[in-house]
Amino acid sequence: MRKWAWLLVLALAACQPKHGEPLKAQVRFVPEHPSVGKAEVCIEVDPRVEFTRVTVVGDMTHPGMIPVKAEAHPAGPGLWRVDAFDFNMRGDWVLTITAYDKSGKKYTKEVRLTVP
Amino acid sequence: MSAPDLLRIPLLGRFLRWRYSRFVLQLPLLLIALLALYDGFFGRQLAPKNFATVSVWLHYRGFLVLAIAVFGNLFCAACPMLLVRGPTRFVKRFLPQFRWPRRLRNKYFVIVLTIFYLFAYEYWDLWASPWLTAWLIIGYFGAAFLVDALFPEGTFCKYVCPLGNFNFTLSTVSPTQITARDPQVCLSCEGKYCVNGRVETEGGRKTAREADPSEGVHYPGCETRLYVPQIQTNMDCTLCMNCLRACPYDNVALKLRFPGLEWLKARYRLDVVWLGVLLFFAGFMNALGMVPAYYQIAEDLSRLLGTRNEAILLIVIYALWIGLGGGITLLVTTLADRLSGVRQSPWKAVRYWGAGFFPLAFAMWAGHYAFHFLTGWATIVPVTQQALSNLGLPMGDPDWTLAALVPENWLYPLQVVILYIGLLAASYVLFGRARQRDHFLAGGVVFVYFFLLVALALWVLAQPMEMRGTLLLPPGSR
Repeated sequence: MRKWAWLLVLALAACQPKHGEPLKAQVRFVPEHPSVGKAEVCIEVDPRVEFTRVTVVGDMTHPGMIPVKAEAHPAGPGLWRVDAFDFNMRGDWVLTITAYDKSGKKYTKEVRLTVP
Repeated sequence: MSAPDLLRIPLLGRFLRWRYSRFVLQLPLLLIALLALYDGFFGRQLAPKNFATVSVWLHYRGFLVLAIAVFGNLFCAACPMLLVRGPTRFVKRFLPQFRWPRRLRNKYFVIVLTIFYLFAYEYWDLWASPWLTAWLIIGYFGAAFLVDALFPEGTFCKYVCPLGNFNFTLSTVSPTQITARDPQVCLSCEGKYCVNGRVETEGGRKTAREADPSEGVHYPGCETRLYVPQIQTNMDCTLCMNCLRACPYDNVALKLRFPGLEWLKARYRLDVVWLGVLLFFAGFMNALGMVPAYYQIAEDLSRLLGTRNEAILLIVIYALWIGLGGGITLLVTTLADRLSGVRQSPWKAVRYWGAGFFPLAFAMWAGHYAFHFLTGWATIVPVTQQALSNLGLPMGDPDWTLAALVPENWLYPLQVVILYIGLLAASYVLFGRARQRDHFLAGGVVFVYFFLLVALALWVLAQPMEMRGTLLLPPGSR
């Protein structure tokens, strides 16, 4: 019985879809500590990697909240920016930065912050 | 004209009489619990995008209050934790059996567990953690297994389970109740099978206690030991329908009712009333914990006490609020007693007037849960897709923009309506009880108290929301 349970766990783990590679990036906000409202999100990635698209998705930590999505635009070598990311509620936020390279490969980074 | 009996509805009545009907209700919730465990442990640890947190903290709670309001305690009827019953019957053969201590045969132990649960919810931010939510589910199943294995069946539901007792208390507002079709039939019933269980053997009909476990066909009686003709309230009724199947005279009904009659007529025990009072103040605190005023109180308290220890601050806030709520309730109900010319102990005053807290507690939780459920109800679609695709099933790309059921500007008016209905129902109880004493003013005193509580609750619900796990902000971040 135990053997079958382990086999099931392994089979399920094998079926798991691949998540993105970790993204090496520095994320800054303007203002440095965003409050409720719009804020600039700057993402500095390794300039040697050529990314074609960077997206930012903000989720609150409570289930049921609609995520805030934004597309970053290139703003210099290795620099991507969202001009007005909408932190529409006070509380804990989790920003998921997703970058895609030329081959379509996905890289992700999670940033947690509290909006007072 | 007698109230309609839902068991007379052909398909519904037949289904509920069927011995596997409860299992059919439990199975979907068991599958949901298993998927929640899987995603909670192995899925992405982000609450809005995990099946465990979305299903438990959004949909389970939302559907629960909805089911209680329109039908009854369906979620106890469909509780998957009682599926541990099969394994516990097996392990009972090897374990010593105990009787639940007489001192704990009331709701005080549940009150303590509920307070601990509420503390844990805030301190560990259970709502924000799929992993902890999954552990909570395991803990619940484990506790049900342990208590059921060592004590008589039904002990867990009646004396231990905070969730079940939450359901029991709120289901005093439900429009249905188990009752006897003809109480005269019960008077002449030789075995009181609805509570003692029925066993049909070749030698005749017996109660479960009289029969050997291996003989005949068994129809278990009420696990929480409710005797159908004496049922005045939905308190402790899990809607398991054992009574219906155990009664050989087809004398059990599930009747539509006006819940106000229960609040006026039922003689609630003091522990039951305190549970209702606690649930109102806890519901208030649960909502307050999501607005900036709460964090300001925590900051002020932190400065006053000279500590940034969240556990201490939470304990002080909860103790003050619940203690204050209990104390003022005691004072106001005693004053109402004195005004109506009754000089009895303050505890008896709480027993008499405290029934008004049941509709108020329901309204407080329903208002809060309705907000979360209606803002995020459709998120169950993408999280289910994602959890199932993690299992390897082809589910397509989740659409994370699915969320709200109603426009956001409808939510507060809806909460106001729910709380006003709660206040209206509570005032029916208060003035009805005041009328029984022929002293209208006495009910008015408690009504003013309730009115102020509802006004305070509406103020909390009107505040901008703040969803964060840390009670205190790091220094310098504001």
